[in-house]
Amino acid sequence: MSSKKSAPQRPDQTDHLPEQSRQALHGFNKALDDATRMVVKGLGAERWQALTIPLLSILLSLLVISVVILAFGNNPLEVFSSILAGAGWFAKSNYGGGQSQLTDLINLATTLTPLLFAALGVVVALRCGLFNIGIAGQMVLAGFIATVFVGYSGMDALVARPLVLVIGVVVGALAGALIGFLKYRFNIHEVVSSIMLNNIFMYVVAYIIKLNYHDPVSRNMRAASSDARLLTDPVHLGEASARLPVGFLLAVIAAFVLWFFLTKTRQGFEMTAVGKSPKAAQYAGIKIGRTVVFAMALSGAMGGLAGVTHYLASVPSIAPNVLPSVGFDGIAVAFLGNAHPLGAVLAATLIATLSTGATYMSSIVGVRQEIAALITGMILLFTACGGYLKSWLENKKSMIADADRAAADRAAGSKGGDGA
Amino acid sequence: MAKQDAGLSQEIILEVRNLTKRFPGIVACDNISLDIRKGEIYALLGENGAGKSTLASMIFGLYQPDEGQIYIRGQAVSIDSPNEAVALDIGMVHQHFKLVSNYTVAENIILGDEPRKKALGLFPYVDIKSAEARIEQLSRDYGLEVDPRAVIHDLGVSTQQRVEILKMLYRDAEILIFDEPTAMLTPQEIESLLQIIKNLRDQGKTVIFITHKLDEVMEVCDRCAILVRGKLVDISNTADTSPRELASKMVGRDIEFSAKRPTKGMGDTILEVEGLRVEDANGFPKVNDVSFKVHAGEIFAVAGVSGSGQTELADAIAGLAKTKKGDIKLKGHSLSKMNVRKRSEDGIAYIPEDRQSVGLVLDFCLDQNLALKSYYRKPYCKTSLLKPVAFSEHAKGLIDDFDIRCARGPKTITREMSGGNQQKAIVGREIDQGADLLIFVQPTRGLDIGAIMAIRERILDERDKGKAVLLISLELDEVMDLADTIGVMYAGQMLKVAAAADLSMNQVGEFMMGVTGNE
Repeated sequence: MSSKKSAPQRPDQTDHLPEQSRQALHGFNKALDDATRMVVKGLGAERWQALTIPLLSILLSLLVISVVILAFGNNPLEVFSSILAGAGWFAKSNYGGGQSQLTDLINLATTLTPLLFAALGVVVALRCGLFNIGIAGQMVLAGFIATVFVGYSGMDALVARPLVLVIGVVVGALAGALIGFLKYRFNIHEVVSSIMLNNIFMYVVAYIIKLNYHDPVSRNMRAASSDARLLTDPVHLGEASARLPVGFLLAVIAAFVLWFFLTKTRQGFEMTAVGKSPKAAQYAGIKIGRTVVFAMALSGAMGGLAGVTHYLASVPSIAPNVLPSVGFDGIAVAFLGNAHPLGAVLAATLIATLSTGATYMSSIVGVRQEIAALITGMILLFTACGGYLKSWLENKKSMIADADRAAADRAAGSKGGDGA
Repeated sequence: MAKQDAGLSQEIILEVRNLTKRFPGIVACDNISLDIRKGEIYALLGENGAGKSTLASMIFGLYQPDEGQIYIRGQAVSIDSPNEAVALDIGMVHQHFKLVSNYTVAENIILGDEPRKKALGLFPYVDIKSAEARIEQLSRDYGLEVDPRAVIHDLGVSTQQRVEILKMLYRDAEILIFDEPTAMLTPQEIESLLQIIKNLRDQGKTVIFITHKLDEVMEVCDRCAILVRGKLVDISNTADTSPRELASKMVGRDIEFSAKRPTKGMGDTILEVEGLRVEDANGFPKVNDVSFKVHAGEIFAVAGVSGSGQTELADAIAGLAKTKKGDIKLKGHSLSKMNVRKRSEDGIAYIPEDRQSVGLVLDFCLDQNLALKSYYRKPYCKTSLLKPVAFSEHAKGLIDDFDIRCARGPKTITREMSGGNQQKAIVGREIDQGADLLIFVQPTRGLDIGAIMAIRERILDERDKGKAVLLISLELDEVMDLADTIGVMYAGQMLKVAAAADLSMNQVGEFMMGVTGNE
């Protein structure tokens, strides 16, 4: 790096080298300089950095993973393409009965839905400076209550499905608001209370399931009736058929609504102000307590929706004594998406693609499917370096601007000399 | 002349050549060259954001220059970290002290460089006794009066600063850098600090003194370099120049020094504080039985050393701190049932002491910060929807009006602006509210002389428009310059309230120290 920086300014440093290697060094420097300029030009536009920097992070992590896969003796391109095929982005070579590329995509959407809701919950809390690690607990509670009150009731689908969603919102919001209230009223840190509540919800729910709703065959909670589940009746798509996830469209709409809410409304402004500087928010006359409770309620509502779309769509029913990993994956997705609701949509799509495509990849290529988790981890690691990348870009940009200005000055000077 | 003879050698101890440091969007130091002689006090003088601190930080190894070279005693050096700076006998006292508050003075000083011994030649331990003896000796030699066994949190600001000085001396520093050392001190403390700095010079140390206060430069410095927006504009011998000349070089124009202007006459009582008591979290009274009145068209200035309860007083009036006893009335009605926002709507504008963590949301854009008190009202917000155009139009107006310098206009992230411009933004926002009562706490702290004059002028203008102004300042000059009425706080009590004309600076200084006997 230092050679690149100093060489154009002090060409005399290379005087002692033979002419040939000097030229080679010069050429190398020029190439490096050109490459830097290209990267800066490509990524320098601040408007797009929220998008370009994560993309670069993903690219870098795929490169690193490729090395790992090569070390195992496999072809990384084959691994990546079969993951994409497994998730439905490409056609597989052959399909089982009733399946097609479209059904794979629908499966992806089904898995993606709770993940996206969970990530949105984390994003909302982060905006208000809160870390809602309790999404998993909120999911269990909402899924459980929805299953008990609607899943076994025999209600008609037209009533049952909206009711399940409403229960998800209300139960999740109450559970989230409780965390916000504990923070505001008793100054209990939300991370502590939400971890505790995760366990409390998980074990209380497990206790009641074992008492009343235990299915001796699956050892899980008895499954809800299909009218209550957030999947449509099978839809025929050519030869194949699939149940469409009711919540998917809702999750995407929720992302846009949240983005609008956070950036364009008064309440969103207040939440962001509290998140960035509670003292300044208080000084501005914003009611901190109310804002915190509201943000946690909103975050919890997303958690509740994640719960019902998970337990009443993507998995058959609640497994007692287990917290859903989706609740924690949502945290990673939120960070990968730059704590932005729309970023979460892209990030959730990516992570869901990796996890749903991994099984197929494993069966085709023979690389263990845990590689998907490794890729996710690597992407997160590189994303965490995004801040460094951004400041590196800024520095390079101002350096290039200076160099160009100096060059322009020189050019203008020599022109003036010619004229005289 | 006597100064020149007093052992000022011609040996150049520190030389910087063509030093340039860039930050994104700004050249903080632009091709600066200067040389500093052994045994002189060398001032780096300049407005906020002129690049003084950046220059010093490069000498102390906190930043690496993008271009240029530093020479110590004629040797080209590259100072990659403060540790290397210390190895080259350079020390620095930062504006915000870097001390462990529950350690003793000696423990703080030896931290990172502990003298070790082995008991019975086997068990290593830190030899605090010899360290204490050495610190005591240094403290005597340089007239610092610091007890090495005292615990830091029991010490006042000025003593803590002397601990920082001892820390440098303990490491045998020859070049001592002081970054705005007088910003937090009372007039008496400043006096004794300047004496200490002179002592250091007389014992052969070289001092680099970063400041924007001209009188300090005139009093102690031998030479001074003036920086304007990253560029070195002049190097003067202080003996051959005047404050006026320095000031005009510093801001690039002539400056009117005293802004004194008497009130045009006071009107109705706007603010009335009666028997106010404010407590801290432990029930200790920070403001104790304070009563006073501020009228329309009056500047009521509260003087007092730092921590006498002024901040709590201002917070209580604005509604940020709880009133334990007593009452606060605005225009005749009690504020006790009103929250922060209601009070603001009722006519209180408040420029808080801590502008970065209280007055602004640093990660917000400038236009959002400029609307921080009014974002929820028309035209900024209609039926819960924000109107970005209204935000930026409003911001553009204030940017012009208050000369707020910002790289990208209303969309500049506030964190990226200099402290002075952040303060201008707060002052602009608060004045713009058209409130009846303006509370200014330390409105000019850390600002350069140009900005100070502009803000003082604004305060006087508001007063002349018939507003009531409550000014809380640690700068006695400012209190004397602006006040129509002076109240002096000491240990939470309002010790004295009198018309400004009836008090001399010395009298105010005495009340600030709690002296009441000689009335």
